[in-house]
Amino acid sequence: MKILVINPGSSSTKVALFEDRDRISQENLSHPAEELDRYETLMDQRELRERAIMDFLATNRVSLDQLDAIAARGGILPPLESGTYLANQAMEDFLLHHARVQHASNLAAVIGLDMARKASKPIPVYVTDPVSVDEMDPVARISGIKDLERKCLSHISNMRVVGIKVAEEELKRPFNETNMVIAHLGGGISVAPFERGRMFDVNNANDEGPFSVERSGELPVGDVVKVAYSGQYTKDQLKKTFVGKGGLVAYLGTNDLREAFKMAQEDPKALEVIEAMAYQIAQEIGAMCVALKGRVDCIVITGGMAHSDRFVQMIQSRVGRFARVFTVPGEMEMEALAYGALRVMTGQEAAKEFTFSAGGSN
Amino acid sequence: MKILVINPGSTSTKVAVFEDDELLASKTLRHSSEELAPFKRLTDQFAFRTKIIEAFLQEAGVPPEELSAVVGRGGLLDPISSGGTYKVTDDMLEDLMSGKNGEHASNLGALIAYQFTREFGIPSFIVDSVVVDELEPLARYSGHPMFKRRSIFHALNQKATARAAAKELGKAYEDVNLIVVHMGGGISVGAHKRGRVVNVNNALDGDGPFTPERSGTLPLTQLIDLCYSGRYTLDQMKKKIKGQGGMVDYLGTNDGMEVSKRIDQGDQEALLVYRAMAYQTAKWIGKMAAVLSGEVDGIVLTGGLAYDEDRMVPWIREMVEFIAPVLVFPGGDEERALAMGGLRVLRGEETPKIYSEMRIS
Repeated sequence: MKILVINPGSSSTKVALFEDRDRISQENLSHPAEELDRYETLMDQRELRERAIMDFLATNRVSLDQLDAIAARGGILPPLESGTYLANQAMEDFLLHHARVQHASNLAAVIGLDMARKASKPIPVYVTDPVSVDEMDPVARISGIKDLERKCLSHISNMRVVGIKVAEEELKRPFNETNMVIAHLGGGISVAPFERGRMFDVNNANDEGPFSVERSGELPVGDVVKVAYSGQYTKDQLKKTFVGKGGLVAYLGTNDLREAFKMAQEDPKALEVIEAMAYQIAQEIGAMCVALKGRVDCIVITGGMAHSDRFVQMIQSRVGRFARVFTVPGEMEMEALAYGALRVMTGQEAAKEFTFSAGGSN
Repeated sequence: MKILVINPGSTSTKVAVFEDDELLASKTLRHSSEELAPFKRLTDQFAFRTKIIEAFLQEAGVPPEELSAVVGRGGLLDPISSGGTYKVTDDMLEDLMSGKNGEHASNLGALIAYQFTREFGIPSFIVDSVVVDELEPLARYSGHPMFKRRSIFHALNQKATARAAAKELGKAYEDVNLIVVHMGGGISVGAHKRGRVVNVNNALDGDGPFTPERSGTLPLTQLIDLCYSGRYTLDQMKKKIKGQGGMVDYLGTNDGMEVSKRIDQGDQEALLVYRAMAYQTAKWIGKMAAVLSGEVDGIVLTGGLAYDEDRMVPWIREMVEFIAPVLVFPGGDEERALAMGGLRVLRGEETPKIYSEMRIS
């Protein structure tokens, strides 16, 4: 079965063609700023991007009608359950008229539906595990003061596809019959417990948890309040200091773990910073093992930093006693979308229905 | 061997006399605000409080000459790199007199204790002051070089309870790894690695679970938004973190018994918040278990909330007992903790430490 995957970013659109589980072709279609600037709204860019995708199909000698499905990245949808959704009128309506956050990913399903309409046969458009997936337990939403609620924002898409992979390949059981702690180590770090497939807690990478290569993670609250009221920073400056210019880059001047390891050959301080990052990641994994009451089939480490055996070892030495540790380096973002569609097409999973009532919003 | 213990608070001084590990007499000596009014500075009160303590000794039938040691609560000294029992020394008294690290009633502990050294030649000590800082280097990283994580916790009760737990496990404190959870108005979760607290949340205003009256860790960018929202002054914000946060903010009370009662009556909100406090506390135990690489001999629950055998204790136990057995030492007897610190030195089990050798400048 042929699946086209559409994953729009702010200045490019990543596309891929899958034949069942195999990726036949992938490309990053970049859109020059001059071109994008011509459009007033994000949604106005849809035709430009669609043309680029059609060119990509042509280059690969695949016609629209040869596609069995389109797998689109989920946009900033309302909070919903994890899984694969059939893009429908309600979803298109929401993305076009009710989206609260303008984000390039909102284009994916809209473009997918536009293309599907042009085919001479019905082509389903699927969206899998959008960033707005929220399955958090009420007890995990409590922060520590009434004004603030812990938010469920995570690298859910990669975490789930990696979890499903490890469940099938290593544990030989369906993902939703396992318990795992999955740590996604990218520019931001998400660590979450999955109980029978459901992510009932997670650190919001901008707000909590370990520091990453460019984010500070959680910070001592008393100190943060003092700085916020000091008059030395605007709100945006302070946020950028901690999210984007925090963590490894603040301590060492690089947001590249490989570069940091190079520095560590001469500078023991650099090694200590790397170890501190691993230490905090291990702590967050420990916390999430407790959230699962210790009933953890395995711990999975994924994302870019999982490429470093040495770094993974630093984490593993602290959490190896809680459960087996598997690594899936890198990010399976295109697979996540293609495989999600495929699970529905092969009858492994039923597609979920997206519903939205505009009455609920203003 | 008789030991006098002095634990000064802002409006009272708790005193006790121990004969070895047995309590002979104890009293809470209250000081009215009229009595304290004439003293400009806190440290000026020490002669006044000393006199009252001498009267207590007389009443208890213990002449000062019979004392083998006097132990005071440790105050706001410079951070010291190791816990344990310290000899009261001149430089210590100087730092407490000057109030360079802040004025706090506990600063009077060493000052009063030393009076007995001066007058009667009795050795004086302090034990496990709040400034004990045994953090390992990795524990000092916050996530941004602007801030360092600091060691501020219930050192006295954490250490005393850890020793008691080690004893129950049939081992020396220096030979075990423990996670100690002090659950009072603040909650501190400490990783005790062979006798040193190598990591602990800053229960005062830094991080950790929310508590009956403190917020604990808060979502960073949301906290920043709140600070800049114009809704709260700096002082109000500080109170949200310490004093008016946590259970007080959600439920209007810092009283665990009261919350338990509401839960019994079917209050779902109270149940959710109380559960969340247990949940966050348990997660911090998991964090400290990773600090100890999962090699944990025991998890020790202490402080007032550890009396709650109906909910708090079983809730936490259920979540963490896969890590290590859970031992419960409810309450926290500060006077006894101080006395035992003195006794260990008198028995030669521990050599008293010297402030100038351990202070971190």
